[in-house]
Amino acid sequence: MLIPRRVKHRKQHHPRRTGAATGGTRVTFGEYGIQAVEGGYITNRQIESARIAITRHIRRGGKVWINIYPDRPLTKKPAETRMGSGKGSPEWWIANIKPGRVMFELSFPNEKVAAEALTRAIHKLPVKCRIVRREGGEA
Amino acid sequence: MAAIRISAEARSEFGKGAARRLRRDGKIPAVLYGHGGEPVHLTLPGHATMLALKASNALLDLDVDGQRHLALAKEVQRDVVRRFIEHIDLLTVTSGEQVVVDVPLHITGEPAPGVIVQQELTTVSVEAEATHLPAALEVSVEGARAGTHITAADVTLPEGTTLAGDPTQIVVLVSGAPTAEQVEAELAAAEEEVGIVHDAPATEETAAEEATADAEAAPADDQA
Repeated sequence: MLIPRRVKHRKQHHPRRTGAATGGTRVTFGEYGIQAVEGGYITNRQIESARIAITRHIRRGGKVWINIYPDRPLTKKPAETRMGSGKGSPEWWIANIKPGRVMFELSFPNEKVAAEALTRAIHKLPVKCRIVRREGGEA
Repeated sequence: MAAIRISAEARSEFGKGAARRLRRDGKIPAVLYGHGGEPVHLTLPGHATMLALKASNALLDLDVDGQRHLALAKEVQRDVVRRFIEHIDLLTVTSGEQVVVDVPLHITGEPAPGVIVQQELTTVSVEAEATHLPAALEVSVEGARAGTHITAADVTLPEGTTLAGDPTQIVVLVSGAPTAEQVEAELAAAEEEVGIVHDAPATEETAAEEATADAEAAPADDQA
């Protein structure tokens, strides 16, 4: 699973949820990609689960790229704890996703199988997504 | 490639307010510049421009209030979610002028079995005459074996087109695909880390036990 090796601050504020993606909005490495249509937090477990779903479906002969990284810690207070006494301990690692962000890319010769694999991965993600192709036409 | 005729209007209103009014009316704000001249601000028809730009390196023949301009789209800004065109930068070209453009590369052919074809470059820079720009270039990987690599110099270019980028850049790399056992081992390790547990495949014994349990539960349901 993707986890940062070292961080400057163990506990951070919650990342902003507003706005759209300003970069990483096109398919650049593979042929097909999964683009987020809404914003959200995606944990490292969800990223890994989606990657496994794609790899299990395509087996061999394809390549998967993960364009996002879960570099933000989220904290949680233990259950049945009174308020106060400082911030909770880090519980999850998340990637802050904005609408338009291409999160996964896939290169695979068969379009139908590639679309099926990406659909399986979308089911593992907590945000609305769509499958996009690499744009060859525009400047 | 023939030039696509588009009638445009000169634009005198600027800023986000004016641009948003144009977009609401189905038009696209654009700017035309090049050859050291003053930039010309334009309004383009939305649907016709969108269709024209579906082809790569489309040459536009703009009719701006009676004046004709040949132009290439230098940058197309799109909405990241809805994908409509927000603004276009157009570069003035003249007939017979040599221009450098990025042309998309398409892979064709069937490689040897058990290999992965990795496309390292999706476009290649070429220099060609503005009115005869190639729409796409093809790279064949027919029968390619693991270890094969195709460089930019190996790409067959149409007549009148020369390579503008680095000829030693690798365009396509053919490598051996991992074996089924390697993929399975990697997935098993990843699933164990995440905590994914697969249901055991149903055997004849477990299926019989389930059927007996269902039969025993059924009368109890009837009595209830």
